[in-house]
Amino acid sequence: MGPKIQVTNLSLSLGNVEILKNINLTAEPGQVQCIVGPNGGGKTSTLRCILGQMPHSGDIRFEWAPDDQTRTIGYVPQFLDFDKTLPVTVKNFMSMVCQQTPAFFGLRKAYKESIEKALNRVQLVDKEKTMIGNLSGGERQRLLFAQALVPEPSLVVLDEPMTSLDEAGMEIFEGLIQELSANDKTLLWVNHDMTQVKRASDKMTVIDTTTVVSGLTSEVLTEPMMRGNFRAKSELTDSSTDSSTDLIEETAVEGAS
Amino acid sequence: MFGLEFLQQEVQAMVSAGKLPFALYYEFVINAILCALIIGPVLGALGTMVVAKRMAFFSQAVGNAALTGVAIGVLIGESYTSPYVSMFSFCILFALLLNFTRNHTKMSSDTLIGVFLSISLAMGASLLLFISARVNTHILESILFGSILTVNQTDIAVLFVVSVLVVGTGYWLFNRMLLSSLNPALAHVRGVRVQLMEYIFVLMITLVTVACVKIIGAVLVEALLLIPAAAARNLNRSLGGFMLWSVIFSVSSCLMGIIIPMQFDIPIPSGGAIILSAACFFLITSLMRGFMPQFKEARI
Repeated sequence: MGPKIQVTNLSLSLGNVEILKNINLTAEPGQVQCIVGPNGGGKTSTLRCILGQMPHSGDIRFEWAPDDQTRTIGYVPQFLDFDKTLPVTVKNFMSMVCQQTPAFFGLRKAYKESIEKALNRVQLVDKEKTMIGNLSGGERQRLLFAQALVPEPSLVVLDEPMTSLDEAGMEIFEGLIQELSANDKTLLWVNHDMTQVKRASDKMTVIDTTTVVSGLTSEVLTEPMMRGNFRAKSELTDSSTDSSTDLIEETAVEGAS
Repeated sequence: MFGLEFLQQEVQAMVSAGKLPFALYYEFVINAILCALIIGPVLGALGTMVVAKRMAFFSQAVGNAALTGVAIGVLIGESYTSPYVSMFSFCILFALLLNFTRNHTKMSSDTLIGVFLSISLAMGASLLLFISARVNTHILESILFGSILTVNQTDIAVLFVVSVLVVGTGYWLFNRMLLSSLNPALAHVRGVRVQLMEYIFVLMITLVTVACVKIIGAVLVEALLLIPAAAARNLNRSLGGFMLWSVIFSVSSCLMGIIIPMQFDIPIPSGGAIILSAACFFLITSLMRGFMPQFKEARI
């Protein structure tokens, strides 16, 4: 079972720039909490604060289940920064992330089964000898999801993992997210695609430096107050969210009528 | 160094018995080959990490800093031939300062290394010219381009201790160091102390670079970290092969760089000969990668 996460009045400033101001959100086990907002609005910074990677003020509280001794966090980053000609195969990468023995000595027996299972879940098992630089963008994202599944996590944090995915990849991701949620894991998911958010999340928080609105996805999507707020900022900062904001607008109109 | 003396005696006995070539009768040749067998695997293995972490020019900057270290050593009265205390002290300080500046300014590595490289070269050149009246020019030459045939037991002992330290640390932290460079946030979630890994890695490169200065030369040591790994990358598609071939190319380059000039009486410094041998491997593997279908898959 995943932890309950309660974020209260989270604020972050770097130099004179205020990145986050009084962010509040709650994530529960068995629920998918989406964090949405315009580019530069502070979504990734919120995640990094929750993961303890940035100095911040405010309170971030984790309530882990008493029987959860491992408290494993699976993290799916946006991308990997590497030289694409680097001879690191999918299997090497999984060994590097999951085991202590140097990856160039190969995969240890103790991890073989769990890693094969994870690669199977993202349908990459037939690519284990492929160099990660030769994978497509979507396959690399699937690999990043696979590493987050070993060892079995209690909390899964996804930082915009679907940007390079095709339809099949999205289906795999959404299936995994639903499966993890059904197994009482806690999921924090930064996403731009409002269609996916609507389809796969239980709760959502809209962040644009401050918390614009937070609550059950079905309710937040019908909030009239977020319509102007989020839309205006998103249109200024990110053209890729146009379709998302249209959806918010449509949903808000439906909700109003 | 009882072990070393014993080894030398055994080799000489085998030469006398006609089991080994006569060239190996000389102590300096045995020392040189021993050095090659120590630094080859270490530089080959460490080179894969240097290439993966894109830190090639860092060791060049440290190599240049070693020039300043030598000059300081001579100024404070250390031995001309092995001023290890000042070399290690200055280079470690230099490397830590470089990494500290990188972490705190968030400037890109290549820019910052370029700045530090120029500063260290300017300092080293100025100080060496300042002290040049006090030392034999050949000593400066051997620092710049290496002189494997003049290594003594102290040099071998320093090299051995540094190699054991670096190989042990590298084995223990390989995955964590590599993951830190691929995605620091992911490494952090996996329990890796990313900044500590960076500091340990720069220390590893610094120690190896300084220990190899006398053998390969301050100017060329970076090349032996880089070229065998680059040649191995041309042929391999997995980390295991990359590491193995990098070590093979590095050891072979060291042995060829020592044996060929001796055998054919070619008057070139050991450092230059070793790097030219490594360059041959790189050239051959680049051609193989460019023209042989089985290696083309690795190309993007």
